Amino acid sequence: MGVIEIRDLVKRFGSTVALDGLDLEVEEGEIHGFLGPNGAGKSTTLRVLLGLLRADSGTARLLGGDPWSEAATLHRRLAYVPGDVSLWPGLTGGEVIDLLGRLRGGLDERRRADLVERFDLDPRRKGSTYSKGNRQKVALVAALASDVELLLLDEPTSGLDPLMEAEFREVVAADRDRGRTVLLSSHILSEVEHLCDRVSIIRSGVVVESGTLAQLRHLTRTQLDAVLAVPVPADLADAPGVHDTVVDGTRLTCQVDDAALGALLSRLAALGVRSLTSTPPTLEELFLRHYDQRGTAEPRP
Amino acid sequence: MTGLGTLVRLALRRNRWFLLAWVLGLAVIAPATATAYETVVGGLAGAGALDVMAANPTMRAMLGPPTDLGTPGGFTVWRVGTFIAAAAGVMAVLGVVRVTRADEEEGRTELIRSGVVGRHAPLTAGVLVALLGCLVLGALVSAGMAAVGEPVTGSLAFGLGVALVSAVFVGVGAVAAQVTSAGRAARGLGLAVLLAAYLLRGIADAGPEGSVRRDLAWASPLQWMALVRPYADERWAVLLLPAGLTALLVGGAFVLESRRDHGSGLWSVRPGRDRAAEGLLSPSGLAWRLQRGTVIGWLVGLSVFALGMGSLSGSFGQMLEDLPQLEAVFRRLGQGAEQLVDAFFVAMLGIVAVLVGIVGVQLWQRLATEEHRGHAELLLAAAVPRTRLALSHLVLAALASTAVLAVFAALLATPEALDRGDAGVILQTVGAALALAPGGLLVLGLAVLLHGLLPRLAWLVWVVVGWSLFMVWVGSVLGLPEWLARLTPWHALPALPVEEMGWAPVLVTTGLALALMAAGVWGYRRRDLRLP
Ligand SMILES: Nc1ncnc2c1ncn2[C@@H]1O[C@H](COP(=O)(O)OP(=O)(O)OP(=O)(O)O)[C@@H](O)[C@H]1O
Ligand SMILES: [Mg+2]
Repeated sequence: MGVIEIRDLVKRFGSTVALDGLDLEVEEGEIHGFLGPNGAGKSTTLRVLLGLLRADSGTARLLGGDPWSEAATLHRRLAYVPGDVSLWPGLTGGEVIDLLGRLRGGLDERRRADLVERFDLDPRRKGSTYSKGNRQKVALVAALASDVELLLLDEPTSGLDPLMEAEFREVVAADRDRGRTVLLSSHILSEVEHLCDRVSIIRSGVVVESGTLAQLRHLTRTQLDAVLAVPVPADLADAPGVHDTVVDGTRLTCQVDDAALGALLSRLAALGVRSLTSTPPTLEELFLRHYDQRGTAEPRP
Repeated sequence: MTGLGTLVRLALRRNRWFLLAWVLGLAVIAPATATAYETVVGGLAGAGALDVMAANPTMRAMLGPPTDLGTPGGFTVWRVGTFIAAAAGVMAVLGVVRVTRADEEEGRTELIRSGVVGRHAPLTAGVLVALLGCLVLGALVSAGMAAVGEPVTGSLAFGLGVALVSAVFVGVGAVAAQVTSAGRAARGLGLAVLLAAYLLRGIADAGPEGSVRRDLAWASPLQWMALVRPYADERWAVLLLPAGLTALLVGGAFVLESRRDHGSGLWSVRPGRDRAAEGLLSPSGLAWRLQRGTVIGWLVGLSVFALGMGSLSGSFGQMLEDLPQLEAVFRRLGQGAEQLVDAFFVAMLGIVAVLVGIVGVQLWQRLATEEHRGHAELLLAAAVPRTRLALSHLVLAALASTAVLAVFAALLATPEALDRGDAGVILQTVGAALALAPGGLLVLGLAVLLHGLLPRLAWLVWVVVGWSLFMVWVGSVLGLPEWLARLTPWHALPALPVEEMGWAPVLVTTGLALALMAAGVWGYRRRDLRLP
């Protein structure tokens, strides 16, 4: 059974439609990446799951319960880190960690001490004197040190330096191995690539793609760079599934749909290949295609 | 100062409704009082009676010494002049902190500063806009007084006095915004200076004519407007005092701003505990921690005020001997009290009960701040039900405001109790205060209702509080119709000990307050959380 199950969720703010029939499924024990351009509705989805916002229609189930009416009981089993953590100016980081931990039903003391150390956090400073990254760390320590089944993380590493980001990855990966489920909204693709078992891409309030990274890669094109024994025949550019062809004498650069790769390669082999490099699509290319509004017009294989 | 023009326009836009409401509200009081002069003097059987009344130390402490009660202009300056100047000081402090320290704290100034503006441009813009508010208020006071037929020279002195005295508090606010590192602390510091100035002149003015203590009034900027003597041989040179002090304070604020880092104050923040105390670890513990400064601030301020006023209560008997025909007037003011001391207590409690209404609403509205700063999001995401979060602030607001009122009453009556050697008067006054407490709860209930159901209209509650304060403070002189004066949440409640204890209004008001609170909390449970 899914830890998070969302069907056809709609949320409007006045005339803006933030969520427009969103479906999302997160399985137990996975790290689920949640990606999409600014304003796509990621934070709104998380806030509906937390019972902070009320959906206009559709259903959402969280840990088997109703996120709105059973909010407080469910929250004992999850921890949340918002995208922009704002701390009370007069409370120290240590006090905030203890407070949020207690309100959630208790902290693991050993883990708390360990995380404070790993994230190199000075818990005696007042909220008003922390930098953005340090505010983020306070919320992260409070969340990660809680004994919970589910982590809802909204761009948790925005503002963290690379060293701290590496620590974060390590801790979250270890958490997953101990059976925790994580929903991770992020704009940092290397983080997603490194951590996530599955991802969902959201745009304008709808999930446009969902699956493992391998599955998503299959939906895209490979970059080919070949030098042939003979000048590149002109009709090669018109072959099915071949795009963005650039010909320079015997040199050919193009993008090939995965489905058309085999056919193109045998044709090239027949012509005689001097050298060939193929580059799998980077995650960046994959996401840029989904993020870019114009991407919709392009037919996908 | 690149970008100053843009910033001034921005500050004007952000402050326009705020300043407009204050300026218009305060500007009408002066001409309205002047036109009510004949009625008031008629009721007192001549201006001579007014003179005796004004000579009373208690009246002097509250309103300052009169210069010329024989004309409507002089009467207006005496009766409402200091009130207008003090209220304009509040406007100045709040107005300048709003667009300087508060904006910096919220991170808005950072965006502006990172653009192409001079280092001091945001502060300059804030000061200029607040000064503009003071000048417009002064001009309207002058114009209003002249329009109702008062001498132009005196009206000019009155208006200029109000404008320049409030300008001093623009300077006070600007300095406070540099010294502290949070908007709330800056407002608190600025208003504490204002309260100190008010108390200083009260203590000074209560002193005997010609005494050294009387001269102390010169040390209080709030008194400088009256010391110009509008409508009574104006002393124009006195206006140099507020003008000079304003220049000094604003200049000081700029120097201080150069000496501090962006985002911090001059008072540096010391590190605190690395683990939380047990008492903090619940929503109510947190609410108390966040609000205790506000509660203690009000408690100290009103306690000083209570002791100051209480020690003057004896002088009312004196005045009665001096002027028997005043008895009836005071009975009316104190709702027909037999004992003039009782009348005095009733009048004081009437004002402070409304002030304490402000305390309750202010404490409750912290919840709204918690929401728009994103703190409530952290708490609600951590297994705190909405009801519990709302109640943590609501219970604190109700209890703390009632306690502050009771403490005020006890301290107000203490000098009298010592005088009489009878502690009973303390109990009696505390009882009288508690009979008025449901009015504050009703206002609090309205605030809760608005926050739960119509959070965008939360400011409406301030209209009710402002109206009530206006009615108890200056409403009685304006000769407004009785039904209008009755339209406050406190009016139905019994004024003990002058009136009989009536349980019906007390219970009905309390019940209504509880119903509003329940409806508000119900709405709060059902609505979207307001997010940053
Ligand atoms: N409280 C609100 N009131 C009005 N509109 C809102 C509110 N919260 C979000 N929106 C709108 O809903 C849409 C989705 O916003 P959301 O914050 O969920 O985006 P996001 O995917 O988290 O973006 P980002 O990557 O920038 O964090 C946006 O158009 C936003 O302007
Ligand atoms: Mg977001």
